[in-house]
Amino acid sequence: MKCEICGKEASSQFCDLHRTAYENLVEKFEVWKKALKITWTGYLDEILRNPDTGIWVKEVARQLLSQGLSSRE
Amino acid sequence: MVHRTVLVLCEKPDAAVRVAKALDEREKPSERKMNGVPYYEAKRRDERILAVPARGHLYVVAPKLKDRSIYPVFDFHWLPKHEVERDAGQTKTWIDVISRLCKDATDFVLATDYDIEGATLGYTILKYACGGKENEAKRMKFSTLTTGELRESYERLLPQIEFPIAEAGTCRHFIDAIYGINLSRAMTVAAKRWSRKYATLSTGRVQGPTLEFLVNREKGINSFVPTPFWTVKSKVRIGDNIFEAEYEKEMIERFDEANAIVSERKGRIGKVTTIEVKEFQQAPPTPFDLGALQTESYSLFKCTPRRTSDIAERLYLEALISYPRTASQKLPNSINYRSILESLSRISAYKKLALMLLSQQNLKPNEGKKQDPAHPAIYPTGNLPERTLTDGERKIWDLIVKRFMAVFGEAAIKQSIKVSLEADGYRFYLRGRRILKEGWMHFYSPYTRAEEVLLPHLNEGDEIEVLEIIREDRFTSPLPRYNPASLLKKMEQDEIGTKATRADIIETLYKRGYIAEERIVVTDLGFDVVDVLGKYCPEIISVSFTRDLERRMEEIQNGNEKMENVIDRAVNQLRPILEELKRREEEIGQALSEAMKKARMQERIVGSCPVCESGKLMILCSRRTGKRFLGCTNFFNGVCKTSFPLPQNGTLKPSHRNCRGCGWSTIQVKIKGKRPWILCFNPKCPLKEGKT
Repeated sequence: MKCEICGKEASSQFCDLHRTAYENLVEKFEVWKKALKITWTGYLDEILRNPDTGIWVKEVARQLLSQGLSSRE
Repeated sequence: MVHRTVLVLCEKPDAAVRVAKALDEREKPSERKMNGVPYYEAKRRDERILAVPARGHLYVVAPKLKDRSIYPVFDFHWLPKHEVERDAGQTKTWIDVISRLCKDATDFVLATDYDIEGATLGYTILKYACGGKENEAKRMKFSTLTTGELRESYERLLPQIEFPIAEAGTCRHFIDAIYGINLSRAMTVAAKRWSRKYATLSTGRVQGPTLEFLVNREKGINSFVPTPFWTVKSKVRIGDNIFEAEYEKEMIERFDEANAIVSERKGRIGKVTTIEVKEFQQAPPTPFDLGALQTESYSLFKCTPRRTSDIAERLYLEALISYPRTASQKLPNSINYRSILESLSRISAYKKLALMLLSQQNLKPNEGKKQDPAHPAIYPTGNLPERTLTDGERKIWDLIVKRFMAVFGEAAIKQSIKVSLEADGYRFYLRGRRILKEGWMHFYSPYTRAEEVLLPHLNEGDEIEVLEIIREDRFTSPLPRYNPASLLKKMEQDEIGTKATRADIIETLYKRGYIAEERIVVTDLGFDVVDVLGKYCPEIISVSFTRDLERRMEEIQNGNEKMENVIDRAVNQLRPILEELKRREEEIGQALSEAMKKARMQERIVGSCPVCESGKLMILCSRRTGKRFLGCTNFFNGVCKTSFPLPQNGTLKPSHRNCRGCGWSTIQVKIKGKRPWILCFNPKCPLKEGKT
């Protein structure tokens, strides 16, 4: 299986590096929700705009948005 | 009447001049040259002294087997540098000259730097170039190249060279060669066999773990998710001045909570509830060891550790400072603090400061804990420059002089004031900082970093006008990237590498293309190299593995361990790793070749395509015409046909800078014999208007 983002070997949707980024993204959503009462897509938009967001996280966020993932809302 | 000819072996020509001058009765040695190699002849009582310089290491450790494509190899020996390295310069002539001068000598004295490298370099030259004189040679031990210290060390020669240190140095050279050559060869050969292209890939005992620190930090940064928080502050007027007071909670994690403080504001008056005043002492800094000098110099002047170390070395060779490659934070009384300060007082810039210290009854430096058996901390010798120093040299020398003076200063006394202010039921703190007594800071100016915030006199119960309450939207930040100085500090903390080698290892990582930029970014190639090493031989990038070796090598120096045991152990650890690498050479070769191919592609990417915005502009070569041009990577998927012409002469590479006229990416063009220039390829760039 290949990573959907970078095409590297992966055991699931993402390679190790993008999976870690994805896990961080999901974990921190809880903090954002508590702080701002934000939706999942709103959160992904904010994350993409933030200059301190890691590049792998941005790649994951972009991928999730392009897939129209709204399951976490 | 000359009875003896003493050959004094020095580390470098500059050091040989100083030694010869100090030992000559008239301080005027004769400069001689043999086949272009300089040496200096001095006369002292019944002795003819030949101060002969080396040129750094003249011998290097190399495998006995010469074929560079074979690994693993464990049989190594010392060889003249010119037989191993292509760019060894005049090493052969140098060795021949030393060998010839040795024939006239009746006595041998080693006067190289008194540290692990100096001892090893001296040992190999005495053993191989001088035909086995290592056992009869005596040793000059000194920490500065001042006339006084050199004469004294010649009068009190140590009966023999420092064999345990030379043994530890030899061991380090052997182990580094065994690791470096085998691992680098394994990587290079694997990649070459797979791709049929040659490229130097390297790793080593210290290089691997250092790169791993950087990769781990990069991973943290690249997968960092910022989270929001808020800070609240109020602007208050006291007298004619406006001050900022911060809310008692430094970080507010919910927007509602932060917003409430701002929106619920009713009154305009705050009341001072408490005033806390604290006084505290700040001890003087400790004297510089090399690591501390490199860190300070980077933070003040942005001077890389390697450059600082090179400048310090030059200052040492000019007898302006003591030996800089030291780990010590001690300044023994024997260096004679007073005479150094008296000498420094001859310079107008230091006169006042030096005289202030000299007026003290008792001069006691604030020493740190770190010790070095060979040398004290770095200090100015008191000698004054004999030529105009370069800007960099002057800055480093001034820093060392000021630091030396500051360590004798009294503690600085500072005061902190915390005023609690109640406004609308919320508590704010107004903070002030004052320096009550400068102490050592006076001597370390302008290198101290202390800003004062002076508050007017306030009493509990005073009412203060609150002008506004402000909410600041903030986000958490990732850990900062390492810079060369903070990386050096990390290596020091983790006890990998030595004070002499750390800066060079960082430079090698840059040269190999594993890292880039001043705030260090790991390149894709760097990531992939660590990936491959982590997958196939994780021990090589393990800090504990190399730290254990470092400790064993130190034990040799202390006389508690034998070189042979340490080398055997290292070889036994490395052998199975190399066998595994060999077994999986094809997989490794494929992974590394792909990484290098990607890195080469990356080197040709100039920036984002300004037309389709999703593709990248890349330096390409037309198959039809053979001409270079800039094309969008989306051309290959049929999305974007953007292309721009490029100069056909010289070398081109992305400049990583945007054009100041149109903001597009630019290219650096280098043509032989001309100054490199930056090209903006945008034909409609406003800067090109009017130019045809």
